[in-house]
Amino acid sequence: MINDVLRQWTDAERTAHVRLRALFETEDCGVYREPQEKLKKSAGSGHNRSMSGFLDGIRCGDCECNVDWGEKRNTIASIAAGVLFFTGWWIIIDAAIMYPKEEQFHHAYHTCGVIATIAFLMINAVSNGQVRGDSYSEGCMGQTGARVWLFIGFMLAFGSLIASMWILFGGFVVTDHKDLSVYPGIAVFFQNAFIFFGGLVFKFGRTEDLWQ
Amino acid sequence: MMAGIKALVALSFSGALGLTFLLLGCALEHFGVYWPMFVLVFYILSPIPNLIARRHADDTESSNACRELAYFLATGIVVSAYGLPIVLARKSVIQWGACGLVMAGNCVIFLTILGFFLIFGGGDDFSWEQW
Repeated sequence: MINDVLRQWTDAERTAHVRLRALFETEDCGVYREPQEKLKKSAGSGHNRSMSGFLDGIRCGDCECNVDWGEKRNTIASIAAGVLFFTGWWIIIDAAIMYPKEEQFHHAYHTCGVIATIAFLMINAVSNGQVRGDSYSEGCMGQTGARVWLFIGFMLAFGSLIASMWILFGGFVVTDHKDLSVYPGIAVFFQNAFIFFGGLVFKFGRTEDLWQ
Repeated sequence: MMAGIKALVALSFSGALGLTFLLLGCALEHFGVYWPMFVLVFYILSPIPNLIARRHADDTESSNACRELAYFLATGIVVSAYGLPIVLARKSVIQWGACGLVMAGNCVIFLTILGFFLIFGGGDDFSWEQW
């Protein structure tokens, strides 16, 4: 039926129509191809040109949600950092609840996670602009103070990560007590690892370029 | 205006559905303990950081440290609402079936709250008389 219609048209109309159909009937709708390419592709698979199938009405490229991933980057980074940070804390809450006795899980090991949290807050309290020196307000201590603050924050973060590994291996893996469960040690390690990476994602995953 | 009413009815239905899941997780004869009701605290706390950030900072800028901190805290509250039933179930305070029901209720309620923010929150001045 479509071929009858095509025969009555002029050459230019025919070409335009075939090109338009080729635009819509290609299987990878998300990729832009030159119309000649699309024509070649649809000429190769010419089996569904004259029959209308029930899937003809589906257009895949027409979604109006033009998500600007550049703008959403800060939101995604904040949410990912939140998931990581709070998952770390819930892991240690779980370990503290499952192993409440002092012999199974020394309460002093919680210090590691607390220092990691303080380091997270310190790292994210200063913006990259203040460290570079190109923000409008000087802040409390100026550029040098911001750098020292960030340096101490990163040192605490790395230190707590290393300490958590030490706690895992020194306190739980290499131990004389054979009936001690290693799970609290693993929980301390994962808590600090998650808090550390949450801090990194929150600090470096967000961009401060207001104008792009 | 009509779309606003329809959306409101749909959101209230999903909110009631989520609360039903939560209540089923507590009140079924098989389960019987009411500890999961504590996640209601997380439901109420979760929109607060976003509301404060909207009021406090103007959202004409594309990146806004206050809004990102609000997203961070809100995500933390959502994670906690999932973590609490899991920890309770691991300690056998509640049963795993109740935990599953509570987490299903969590999903529905948080999608409802997100729906509220997407549909009713995108105005210049966020006021309660918007519709």
